Parts: sequence; C-alpha cells; structure tokens
Amino acid sequence: MTDVPLHIQRRADGSWIEAQILEGVKPPDLIVVEGEWAAERSQVMQELLKQGVPRPNWPQSLHWDWRKKAPQLKLLASAGFGLVSEKRWQGVMLTLTEPYATQLNQDKGKPLLYIDYLEIAPWNWAIPAIGQVGQFRGIGSILFWKAIRQSQEEGFHGRVGLHALPQAELFYEKICRMTPLGRDPSKQNLLYLELSRIEAERHLKEDNKS
Amino acid sequence: MTTKRTMTLNLTEAEMTALEELCEKKDLSKTAVLRQALRLYQMVDSRIERGDKLFFEDDAKKAKAEVMVL
Repeated sequence: MTDVPLHIQRRADGSWIEAQILEGVKPPDLIVVEGEWAAERSQVMQELLKQGVPRPNWPQSLHWDWRKKAPQLKLLASAGFGLVSEKRWQGVMLTLTEPYATQLNQDKGKPLLYIDYLEIAPWNWAIPAIGQVGQFRGIGSILFWKAIRQSQEEGFHGRVGLHALPQAELFYEKICRMTPLGRDPSKQNLLYLELSRIEAERHLKEDNKS
Repeated sequence: MTTKRTMTLNLTEAEMTALEELCEKKDLSKTAVLRQALRLYQMVDSRIERGDKLFFEDDAKKAKAEVMVL
C-alpha cells in the first residue's frame, strides 16, 4: 500500500490536520474499516430513532457494510483507496476501470473510471436533525479528486462516472461539476453522472493553483 | 506504486492492426488496451465461473444472444 500526504480541515476549530490517501487498499483493510465504523453507524441510528427523524431523511449509506464489498477487490478492474487521519479511516472509495464507457458525446465509448462506492466515516456526516456537524470537512471531495487522478493515470483523461445516492446528487452535480445523464433503471433508478475530460482538467488546474 | 513487470508480446499482422485500431478508437496506449482487455476477461470469467451468463442485447431488433466464453 502506498500513501499520498495531505491535510484535512477540522470543522470545530478550522485547524488543518495531517492525513494520507492510501492506495492499494486490500480486503482485510475493509474489514478494519467496518470494524471502526459499525459502532458509529449504530450510534447514529439510535440517535435518529430517539429524535424521531423520518427514515427517508436518514443518511442513505447508513446500512452499508464494507466487509461485503471486500471480495470485489480481487478483480484486476477494481481498486480501493482510503483517507486516513488521526489513525482512523476518514473515508473509503472503491473504483472500477471496467466495464463502463463514457456516454458523453465528445468522448462517447471511451473508457472512464467508475466510482463504485465512496463513503465518508459516520463521524464526518453532517446530520443537522440530530445536531451532528461532522468532524472533518472535504473528505468526499478529496477522494473524488483522487478518482480523477487515477483516471488520468489509467490514460482515461480524468473521465469519471458514478451512480449517486439521492442525498449526494447535488454534491456531484454542483460541487464536482458532473453532468447528469438520467436515471438508471438497472441501478435502483439512481441518477448516473459523468465528469468530462474538460471538467477533469479544470479540477486539476484549480488544485494546482491552491 | 505497484511493481510492474515487462513482457514481449508476439502478434500477427491482423492482431496488431486490431490492437492499433482499438488504441485509436479508445484513445489509449497499447499497454492500456491490453490491460483493459485482461481486466474485462478476468471479470467476465469470474462471473461465468460463479454461474452467471453473458448476453448481447439488441434493443432495436429485440434480439438477445448468449455469449459463450472459452
């Protein structure tokens, strides 16, 4: 496993904390991730129940279990990434280089990097209904940036695709500047979005400036 | 970084032409095309091994044909 150093911001006091993006995440790592996150998921669920928050407003990845996603990492097309800080997994992402191809006109039919799963740690979720603000900001954006970089390294020119959970649609469309391409009946009617190579270049240029 | 190993690949004229055409069409290097082909082959093989079937579907003709993978 290799790591890329960076900093993440704590919401409470705005301080910057050292973090690493880990590449080459393996199935046993995902078991550790879920080991760390399961208790937090359960705590969030209990608080949601206690506060009487309607289920449609619960975080939509609350039921995820990274242990179940571990076998996928045996495939050559699959890769795992994690963001670690303060000795804890702050976010995890699984990507696929096959069998997806871009639907956007300018590059139609050319390969892209597909984000199969991306989740931030439950303690980083902002859930106003239970007064949880989330510990660190920007974890999802950093992992998305990593996906663009991986797409470039694969020779896919930064093209990225994914199916978004309804609560994440605005994030991918407005913050990540992905193009929505319609709902996919074969994927629980989730919205499918793609990042074009032009937008990918913009993301990376902005990153170089900051 | 993942350690990479090098190999020599001998292809017929037709195979090399097909590879070059795919490189052009997909905007990828030869290495990237072969890497993608291997990933897809492994993915399909693992699904078939666990009992799944692979189909090609033509929406216009309403035709569906199973692909037999060797």
